[in-house]
Amino acid sequence: MSNLAQAIWVEFLKARRSKMPLFTALGFAMVPLGGGFFMIVLKDPEMARRVGLISTKAQLTMGSADWQTYLRFLTMAVGAGGIILFGLIASWVFGREYSDRTVKDLLALPTARSAIVLSKCVVIAVWSAALSVLTCLITLGVGAALGLPSESPQVFWQSGITITVAVCLTIALVTPIAFAASAWHGYLPPIGVMMLAMGLAQLVNAAGWGEYFPWSVPALYVQGEHLGMVSYVIVILTSIAGLAGTLLWWERADQTH
Amino acid sequence: MDTVIETNNLTKRYGDVTAVDGLSLRVAKGEIYAFLGLNGAGKTTTIRLLLGMVKPTSGEARVLGMKIRVWERKPWDSVGYLVETADAYPELTVRENLEAMRRLRPGTEPQAVDRAIERLGLTEYADRRAGTLSHGNAQRLGLAKALLHNPALLILDEPALGLDPAGIVEIRNLLTELVREQGVTVFMSSHILGEVSRLAQRIGIIHHGRLLQELDVDELERNRQRRLLVRARDCEAAHAVLIGAGFSAEIASDGAVIVKDRVAIERPDDVATRLVNAGHAPTMLNVEEEDLEHYFLRLVGMEEGGAK
Repeated sequence: MSNLAQAIWVEFLKARRSKMPLFTALGFAMVPLGGGFFMIVLKDPEMARRVGLISTKAQLTMGSADWQTYLRFLTMAVGAGGIILFGLIASWVFGREYSDRTVKDLLALPTARSAIVLSKCVVIAVWSAALSVLTCLITLGVGAALGLPSESPQVFWQSGITITVAVCLTIALVTPIAFAASAWHGYLPPIGVMMLAMGLAQLVNAAGWGEYFPWSVPALYVQGEHLGMVSYVIVILTSIAGLAGTLLWWERADQTH
Repeated sequence: MDTVIETNNLTKRYGDVTAVDGLSLRVAKGEIYAFLGLNGAGKTTTIRLLLGMVKPTSGEARVLGMKIRVWERKPWDSVGYLVETADAYPELTVRENLEAMRRLRPGTEPQAVDRAIERLGLTEYADRRAGTLSHGNAQRLGLAKALLHNPALLILDEPALGLDPAGIVEIRNLLTELVREQGVTVFMSSHILGEVSRLAQRIGIIHHGRLLQELDVDELERNRQRRLLVRARDCEAAHAVLIGAGFSAEIASDGAVIVKDRVAIERPDDVATRLVNAGHAPTMLNVEEEDLEHYFLRLVGMEEGGAK
């Protein structure tokens, strides 16, 4: 691929210099911190009510203050909410070229346009994966700081595998968002597409067809639903379609921005 | 003559709108070709067609001998360009913006960044974020990106846009130097007519997507209308003297006598002698040359208030 390594270097430079990594890290850090808050509450609900952490009317149905509950909260949040944050990253990485009107400087270079697109996808994947790792580390740190009762390593491994698969499935689903950012030139349209996908996922889930709708699959997976191979194939095909669409758009469409 | 840019019947339509209409032009190696037109005339679309950013509806474009077509090898390693406004990544410094561009142009040596910064007078701003630059300095950064890899061909859309008068002279000198010393070819669009007449060797005038005229600067000189403007204490009497001498003189609205005969324009001293001998010595004698702006407006049929 023509000059892919250098294109990746450039994309990382742009990401590093922006404030987006910080904002997305803060956004994702809310998951373990929020989970930690619930652990504090669950450990001693009466104390939490006394000091005003929760209302006296609050119903605590989450479970008990242990690693299993905390990790389940984490996997659920990543499975259901990961697409929002990863989608925002994809919207920014592609959409900013149109908002900043810099896309034209990437179109007539010895570096192939396909290399530019792939380098952006690499950055999105690495960025999203790094946020997930960071979230897991914060979870472990917060859990240890709260003195949650010790748990067998098997529980941690199982949660780790579940989160890894959910993150991979979610990352795969950002390529259509990248296409939306390219085709509609900016940040907002892909965010709209993402919201539409999330809304449809809820609807399709409620109708019982969630395993066939790609954006429902990560959430169903972390809920422990038995998904057939077809669900994973649908996610992979959606990802390939999104990537192919983005590549074709950059190579073939009239670039007037 | 080596042809660096060649378009044959190049046409681009967006629905019912024809942005570029049957454009055929040639740009020779080592020349500065100015593409002149009003806003919306089709200049930027032509540049985007040359750079493969939009596909022609019909016709073809060749740049450095290569046909510009999707999926085919293109000559971009030898082309530097600036399209529309000069934009940069606002959170990167000037140096980082250039470094990013250098890496996307494989084979460009690392020293090229500092060279470009110095050449465009950006040393003072090298470590400043691009988002904080003035419009003029942002334009300089855009030009630095275009020049970074010492291209054989520069395609520049309004290169002087946003520059102050000193900056315009600087860029003019820089482009002239590149052409003279390195044999670079420059294809530039502009609506700053005075700038074009000072810089370009060849001018293409585009209007409503069509190439109205392509001419050398020498031809432009010949095509420009010239006239002799005469004032005397009694302009009407001076007018009568000149009519009597066989000139096709006329009186302008401000009272001055206008003479368009070639012999009068080339030998205004003879006109002065005749007026002095008739007792109506001129108080002003001025050969006025139509400037490029009026020439352009006359050509596109938008001339206001007659020729200057």
